[in-house]
Amino acid sequence: MADRETGRDRRQVLLGLARTGLAAGGFGVLYHVLRERPRERSATPGIFDWRRTGGQRAGAIARGSDPAANVRRAVAALGGMERFAGRGETVLIKPNVGWDRVPEQAANTDPDVVAELVRLCLEAGAARVVVADFPCNDPRRSFTRSRIGPAARKAGATIVYPPSLGTRPADLPGVLAGLEVMELLPRADRVINVPVVKHHSLAKATLGMKNWFGVIGGGRPRLHQGIHRAIAELGAAFRPTLTVVDATRILVANGPQGGSLDDVRRVDAVAAGTDPVALDAWGASLLGLDHRRLGFIAEAEKLGLGLGDPSSLEELGTA
Amino acid sequence: MIWWRRLRLLYQLAFLALLLWLLERLAAGDPRTLPYDLLHHGDPLTAAGLALAHHAVPTALGLSLAVVLLTLAGGRIFCGWICPLGTLQELVARWGTPRRLRERSGRNRWRPLYRTKYVLLALLAGWAVLGSLQTGLLDPLSLLARGLAAAVWPLLPVRGPVPGGWIAGALLAAVVLASVWTPRLFCRAFCPLGALLGLLARFSLFRIRRIDGRCTGCLLCVTDCQGADEPLGDHRVEECMVCLECIDRCGEHALSYGFSSAPSPLPAVPDLSRRRALGALAGGLVLGPVLRASGGGRTARSATAIRPPGSVPENEFLDRCVKCMLCQQACPTGAIQPALSGVGVEGFWTPVLDMRRGWCEYTCTRCGEVCPTGAIRLLTADEKIGRNDDPPVRIGTAFIDRGRCLPWAMATPCIVCEEMCPTDPKAIWLEEAVDHGRDGNAVRLQRPRIDPARCVGCGICENRCPAGEHAAIRVSTAGETRSAANRMLVGS
Repeated sequence: MADRETGRDRRQVLLGLARTGLAAGGFGVLYHVLRERPRERSATPGIFDWRRTGGQRAGAIARGSDPAANVRRAVAALGGMERFAGRGETVLIKPNVGWDRVPEQAANTDPDVVAELVRLCLEAGAARVVVADFPCNDPRRSFTRSRIGPAARKAGATIVYPPSLGTRPADLPGVLAGLEVMELLPRADRVINVPVVKHHSLAKATLGMKNWFGVIGGGRPRLHQGIHRAIAELGAAFRPTLTVVDATRILVANGPQGGSLDDVRRVDAVAAGTDPVALDAWGASLLGLDHRRLGFIAEAEKLGLGLGDPSSLEELGTA
Repeated sequence: MIWWRRLRLLYQLAFLALLLWLLERLAAGDPRTLPYDLLHHGDPLTAAGLALAHHAVPTALGLSLAVVLLTLAGGRIFCGWICPLGTLQELVARWGTPRRLRERSGRNRWRPLYRTKYVLLALLAGWAVLGSLQTGLLDPLSLLARGLAAAVWPLLPVRGPVPGGWIAGALLAAVVLASVWTPRLFCRAFCPLGALLGLLARFSLFRIRRIDGRCTGCLLCVTDCQGADEPLGDHRVEECMVCLECIDRCGEHALSYGFSSAPSPLPAVPDLSRRRALGALAGGLVLGPVLRASGGGRTARSATAIRPPGSVPENEFLDRCVKCMLCQQACPTGAIQPALSGVGVEGFWTPVLDMRRGWCEYTCTRCGEVCPTGAIRLLTADEKIGRNDDPPVRIGTAFIDRGRCLPWAMATPCIVCEEMCPTDPKAIWLEEAVDHGRDGNAVRLQRPRIDPARCVGCGICENRCPAGEHAAIRVSTAGETRSAANRMLVGS
């Protein structure tokens, strides 16, 4: 029986309805997949320990005008990257890509340092190297202008940042409770923390343990209310396989994002090691700070995260 | 099917795909300088509106001259072959197309309602003469880009929600879905750009011609007609969208598209009496001042109407902005949002910055790169941040709310705004102070202070302030570079 107005019979109308329904359903599913991506809701344990046992030295400092060579020498002095990145493993490299600044402004980790670490991990047999951060500025601009994105990609790493990188809940302890973490943390076998040495008006210095701000999702600004305790608790919650402190250029004032080249000093050094507290103490000394009087280093020692003594690091000198 | 029907569909899909691709690249933050505003630059309605409202047309809009010439040569080819909004309507109209030819032709006959677009054009022209450019509200390119930016792109994971986005989305949906009922209802009845091109098409050299002896009056030519221009009798050339469907349908070979050597005497077109046209123009002339006076966008300055960096002074801004929201699409932080209030009726859906949704990235100049009308000037990064000792481009100034600020009001350490401040030296500086909490114990604090001579109003401090949604540091328009009246400091 055809409809008088449109000339369609029941069969055609039903087919039309079915097609429309299918299209609408498809849209709904697509929307769900794209936008409301099923997020991991169950909290992961809040202590992330990626350390490897063994090794004699707390760390080593290499100096020279080539940042990549410094990285190679410092890591070699610790026994080579094979010690930290195993065959077939996924390695997460966490540089400081906080700001929409160029390398010369020393607000982010040096791109050559990051790229060299990527190469060393791949040479050591890592299956996948991921470079990730939650920048303070626009992520795409920060990764591009810091040159960390292009350099690490060229070296063979996967680059991830928001909005394609999200957060997931974690049972973080103490002052960190309730904050979410970078969603790929539980999937990483090994993690290398690669801070840059910078001034910070509240904590005095932003170094390795402070760099963990960059794996915390929204709400991290409130951690500044008790910054020293918060930094130490971050150090307790995130225990990296390796810490590499970039002091190719350091920012001595107007940190942590600087801007003026007058605030940048060239130190041409890179330190690598497994004692995050000793490495932070070394970085603080470069800024002319007395590490024994720095709140977050004292707090970290109290938590047993390491020894705030830069002399435990081996000085390799200039090549 | 004659080859040109396929060719037309190909053209339509290509332009639609081009627009969607450009908008997608823009939203994704593609670092390349693609011609994001290409189609918007070919919009004669924008050009005409700016000429009336602003007495000048940016050179970039020269492309619209090509569309004018195209229309003078061959009629409203833009409407039938290029306009992406027309294409969307045509695609959607297929759903509602009856199978019986007679019912189909019924939907494609001319109706008196289709005169409305000329009334709207006259109204908008009258309004523009008085310096208020409102063509963007109904301009098909603005309407489409705005609807996509406000209601379609937010569906994707990369973009956040848009306040009031449903308004632009509902308008777009209504325009497109009305085609199920009457094909291209918007083009035929309401599109001011179509009306403008229709006025030009009256003089077109190429048009549909009819060989009188052959026509049997069968009405088949109307079956798939896009413009409802009725090629059967007195062809309404100003309504014709050059879809050429009529030629294909005519079984008697009575119709052709070609050079008309002896132009048919102009019918009383646009199908609108002179009285009505003048009435509409007068309506615009009255409506303009009334809405400006009661809407209060220009004189009653708003503290929160923070315009994108490089925006021209407010009066000129309202003369230029066509509300296409390409700037919103381009903004990497999502700070640029349509203004639903606080900018007067004239400013409805013009771009402002909402610092709780984003902030103005210090060296980013993306919004000015994509603005098709120069409402937002193209800046270089150096110009914007004032390198080389020139003053920076300020969009406002940040003010501290000492009643909400943690170190000022609650003896709690916090330096987030100072840490985020991107200027060199920082506009936010810290004052050492000793306060005490409830227990009477002394607390050493660093309290943020603002150096208004340094602040550019970027708003990243407001964006990151931990004092909840109503931040303890907020940007207002005071001191914005573009306004000579909104100065705060002596000598600035």
